[in-house]
Amino acid sequence: MPFKPVPQKFNAKINALTIGTGDKTVTLGGESVFPFYSFDAPIEHRPSIGAEISDLGIDSSLPGVAEYYSGCSTLPEMAKRASEMPGADFLAISLDGAHPDNGDRSVEDTAALVKEIAAVVDCPLVIEGSRSVEKDAKLFEKIAEALDGRNVLFLSAREENYKSVSAAAAMAYSQKIGAESAVDINLAKQLNVLISQMGVKTESVAMNLGSAAAGYGFEYVATTFDRVKSAALAQNDNMLQMPIITPVASEVWTVKESIAAEEDFPEWGPAEERGVNMEIATAAASLAAGSNAVILRHPQSVAAISKLIVELI
Amino acid sequence: MGKFIVIGERIHCISPVINKAMQERDPEPILKRAREQIETGATYLDVNIGPAEKDGEELMKWAVKTIQEACDNVPLCLDTSNRKAIEAGISVYNRSKGKPIVNSADAGDRIENIDLAAANDAIVLALCSKAGVSSDNDERMGYCQELLERGMEHGMEAEDIWFDPLFLVIKGMQDKQMEVLSFIKDLSDMGLNSTGGLSNISNMMPKHIRPIMDSAMVAMAMYCGLTSAIANPADLRLMETIRSCDVIKNNTLYADSYLEI
Repeated sequence: MPFKPVPQKFNAKINALTIGTGDKTVTLGGESVFPFYSFDAPIEHRPSIGAEISDLGIDSSLPGVAEYYSGCSTLPEMAKRASEMPGADFLAISLDGAHPDNGDRSVEDTAALVKEIAAVVDCPLVIEGSRSVEKDAKLFEKIAEALDGRNVLFLSAREENYKSVSAAAAMAYSQKIGAESAVDINLAKQLNVLISQMGVKTESVAMNLGSAAAGYGFEYVATTFDRVKSAALAQNDNMLQMPIITPVASEVWTVKESIAAEEDFPEWGPAEERGVNMEIATAAASLAAGSNAVILRHPQSVAAISKLIVELI
Repeated sequence: MGKFIVIGERIHCISPVINKAMQERDPEPILKRAREQIETGATYLDVNIGPAEKDGEELMKWAVKTIQEACDNVPLCLDTSNRKAIEAGISVYNRSKGKPIVNSADAGDRIENIDLAAANDAIVLALCSKAGVSSDNDERMGYCQELLERGMEHGMEAEDIWFDPLFLVIKGMQDKQMEVLSFIKDLSDMGLNSTGGLSNISNMMPKHIRPIMDSAMVAMAMYCGLTSAIANPADLRLMETIRSCDVIKNNTLYADSYLEI
């Protein structure tokens, strides 16, 4: 019997969320098919990749990273280099140094630093917080003001601070926000409901549904992404139609497989290679499960994932 | 499965306010009820203009345009025995939020409304009856098959024929209730969509009892597989029950605010 393809059609689509300005923009989402199912209907916007730098600088202990950023001495220089990383669509700045336990850089100084970075790059920007909910609420307010008009995405608004993040970043300055939940589908939906009840347009919201490095409970991440995409498309649930963005780097570059020294585990081979493999495996799995964007650190991972996306869509 | 579909029943010419507004082509009273019903959770709005033998076509066109233009093209269920009025309504209908529903066909002298729906790529409510109430489920199933075949012959998808078992009033037909539920289960087992005028069951009951009885019935009917109902979305207890059943049936993902969305 001849094969007759039956396209899986949905009367629903993932919201298209655009960040950046002018001709330097990137759009997350917009598709009405399951991840990479471009044979069912065209996927207009490919999944995108962010190159991440920390406000504490790069990890120069990794030879590949040190080489990529060679000659950069200041953070804006590194950011500029990161923004030009082949395969990357946007720059993600992680504000690790503003966390109370990690230097506690002041809100004013951090905002000034981000402004300095933004001045030398013209690509779309994602601002990742310090992972302190109190500090992030203050940081995002100040940075949303400093980057007024740049149409940036803030990661993230959480259950504890969504009110102030929504009001300051999304409503006062029309920036985009990510709603973060930790691998909890019901909370993911609830947070979207609460943010939209604040008056934020659903089209201004992305979801960070949480992540885990491959092998560290990733199957929960995958099933969560699956369930969310199927509610969004098959059940036309408009409280789950926000595109998914997944910070992968922060998960994978802290696990043992990525950081254990080669001297301690000679049979594992070079640490950097392992870390890159973890980053690629986790990013590929995140995209296959439904992520519309991943945030990565290593230039080799960015190159590999970019190639994967282009060849599949 | 998708969420349960509520067809709001409150734009009905039997209401003096609506009747007057329809006669005078006064949009406001109609739009007020339209907005209230959308706000409280109706997916479709029924637009009942009565037999409207005199000016049905013009009235239905006006009603469809008036409601859809003011309410973001809310999908409508066109409810009249005047077939030309239904066709006229469909001719100005905006499909961006869903196909129009033809209300209704039966296995008797309204069977041609199936053809009308098929010719216009519409959904049709198909009453499993011919003249009066079917005496048992064998008879209901016979009509169901007849209506289904008629639709298929005219090129309809089975999913666009929503079968109505006819809900029966409890005060007087209490012994028939489980049979109706069992028929809903049969429809569901066949993969068919179903609907019906739910509040029939509580006719002639005291006002404060009706939401309780309607809610109990909708929960049992949803368990049996009922996929939609023509109902009053302003009935909070009923809507809370439907939303809760949708969660239990995994038709929609739970969130703490599920009653508010």
